[in-house]
Amino acid sequence: MDGIQLSRVTRTYTLGSEALNALNNVDLNIANGDFVAITGPSGSGKSTLANIIGGLDKPTSGTVTVNGQDLSHLKDAELSGFRNKTIGFVFQSFNLKGDSTALENVMLPLIFAGISPKERKARARECLDRVGMSDRMGHLPNQLSGGQRQRVAIARALANKPSLILADEPTGNLDSAKGAEVMQMLLDLNRDGITLLVITHDHDVAKHANRMIEVRDGLVHEAVAF
Amino acid sequence: MRFPDYLSLSLRSLRRSRVRSLLTIFAIVIGATGITVMLTFVTSVKNLTVASFVKTGQIRQIQVSQSTDMRYDPTGASGGYSNGLKSNNAGSATTTPLTPALEAKIAALPHVTAVAGMFRSRMPAISNVNYNGKDWVVQAVVGYQPTGAIHPLLLAGRDLIAADTGDQILISKSYADVMGFAGKYDTIIGTKINLHTNQGYTGAGVSLPTQLPPMIRCKQNQQNCFGGPTSGMPATNIPATIVGVLDNSDGNDQPLLMLPLNSFLAIYNQAQPMRVNYSFQQQQNCKPGTPCPPGNGNGGGDGGNQMPSGPGVVEGGWNRPTATAFITNSGGFDSFMAQADDISNVAEVASAISKFGVGTTTGLKALNDQKAQANIIGLVLGGLGLIALLIASLGVMNTMIMSVLQRTREIGVMRALGARRRTIRRIFTIEATAIGFFGGLIGVSLGSIFVLVAKPVITKMAKSGSLTGATFTVPPWLMLTVIAGTSAIGFLSGFLPARRAANLDPVEALRYE
Repeated sequence: MDGIQLSRVTRTYTLGSEALNALNNVDLNIANGDFVAITGPSGSGKSTLANIIGGLDKPTSGTVTVNGQDLSHLKDAELSGFRNKTIGFVFQSFNLKGDSTALENVMLPLIFAGISPKERKARARECLDRVGMSDRMGHLPNQLSGGQRQRVAIARALANKPSLILADEPTGNLDSAKGAEVMQMLLDLNRDGITLLVITHDHDVAKHANRMIEVRDGLVHEAVAF
Repeated sequence: MRFPDYLSLSLRSLRRSRVRSLLTIFAIVIGATGITVMLTFVTSVKNLTVASFVKTGQIRQIQVSQSTDMRYDPTGASGGYSNGLKSNNAGSATTTPLTPALEAKIAALPHVTAVAGMFRSRMPAISNVNYNGKDWVVQAVVGYQPTGAIHPLLLAGRDLIAADTGDQILISKSYADVMGFAGKYDTIIGTKINLHTNQGYTGAGVSLPTQLPPMIRCKQNQQNCFGGPTSGMPATNIPATIVGVLDNSDGNDQPLLMLPLNSFLAIYNQAQPMRVNYSFQQQQNCKPGTPCPPGNGNGGGDGGNQMPSGPGVVEGGWNRPTATAFITNSGGFDSFMAQADDISNVAEVASAISKFGVGTTTGLKALNDQKAQANIIGLVLGGLGLIALLIASLGVMNTMIMSVLQRTREIGVMRALGARRRTIRRIFTIEATAIGFFGGLIGVSLGSIFVLVAKPVITKMAKSGSLTGATFTVPPWLMLTVIAGTSAIGFLSGFLPARRAANLDPVEALRYE
């Protein structure tokens, strides 16, 4: 079965003696190729939702299925493989390796995938080309502007040809012009068939989505599109 | 993920915190250098000992003494003396004379390939070594049977061999030094010297007269004056050719001459007149220390105030005992050296010889004792180096913990990008192992350079010592062991931090500021 299915997903954190439900019995279906914006106030559980879908976190109860794969039963190695092959992560603060060039940063997930040096170089070039960074491949992150860094991060997310991109406030650290550029790039990817999940506070970002989910107190609500 | 990828990721992060990495590596370098240098010296000395034991055949030697409490003496030169005491005086130990008959019995034992008797001068005959117009006092002369069982340690030249029946002689290093050959012992080989006898010498090289010159009366406490019927006979020079220089630098540094037993006996088994008919002279006319002037004798015997003063007429010819009788009458050989056919038979042969009631010590045991000593020194020195390494390993652990903390977010990112726990663990373990490896590599290199630089100095210092000939090169096994050891220490020190890194919750790690 394609797409993302969450069934009665609960994620409980224990803070001292107090149990806190970051997600409470969540049911959610996302179709392949969808562009979903996840909104909600800080601490509402939207990051937890994204982490569980991205295989970084496991639900306390309930099942998560991505492209027919039940994540709740995967072991570390399998889950790592899942993140590597199926998900592309884009972070607010880019999270590029400071000691590595743009090209090397993009090659990192390919290294974890065990792809040969020759092929990973070719694929990394291809991805950088796709985000318009082919002329900056040898630059270190601190030699790049914020927008350029986020483009490198997107190229990195694309390296293993994922079916889903999880972007956590991808434009949060960018001015509006650069933010719009990055958003356009993500939209292009979505148009090419990649499912896009964007966590955002930004209504300008959310308005591009064809579906908006609001997380509040551990519950998801289908929000009205702008 | 491939190993080169792990390595590249690990080395990259080492490079990133260059100063911290270098300081941590430096701590390992100190320990590795120390271990390399110290163990190289211990190993070199040990190898030298073994090599010399094997080369000279000492490893197959069994030294036989009259008494049990004997110190092993590779040259046999102390011959029957232990710690300055003749062994047959040593307390309650039972003694058995080492006679030629006993030697034959030992030679007949199974696994014995050769036996040699060693005989040390008891009565004086040679007083000085003479070379180039100068004289040096002779203290000890040893004769041994060059059967191949005794192998004196040599600085130059060769052993005595069975064919040496002439004037061949081994001299101790101390003689070569005073003769002006210090440090160039090879050049003394073939040099002719004279062995200057005492007055009254009647051994080889002297035609025995029928009429003796007047006796010499010794002054009180006069050295090198022995009196006796032949004391008026003139001293003579016995020519000798140096064939080897003894390495007597192992603590037994008294001047020493060694001769083939036959040559030795020719000199020391001196003839005595059967009977002497003296003319006598009044003692008051004799000046002490000088021959009495000839005159009319008026008495007999040498009692009272008078003594026989030559010339005396030898009646009944001269008597020289056979070699066997001479040795037996002198109390036997000082020691035997027996040689076993194989190292594995040394103990058996020693035990068989002991049944004759004599003491035995083996080169093998001496070698093992020396090796054990060297091992203890090596353990102590190596232990010090190991302590340095253990302290350094705390540094590695600290560095790795810091590294994990500093890179927590990076670990989270790598996990998000698909790195397994195992991958993270390996990256950090390899990083720590690399610190150990480079520390070891640099340490071994520095140690080798140190050994190389120190070698001439030490060789110079050791020139007069038993370290001459030691190679002082870092053995390959030591290099590999040190590098493997420091790598292992790096690995172990990095294990816990690496596990901690691997077990980080990716969500928490990504949130880490």
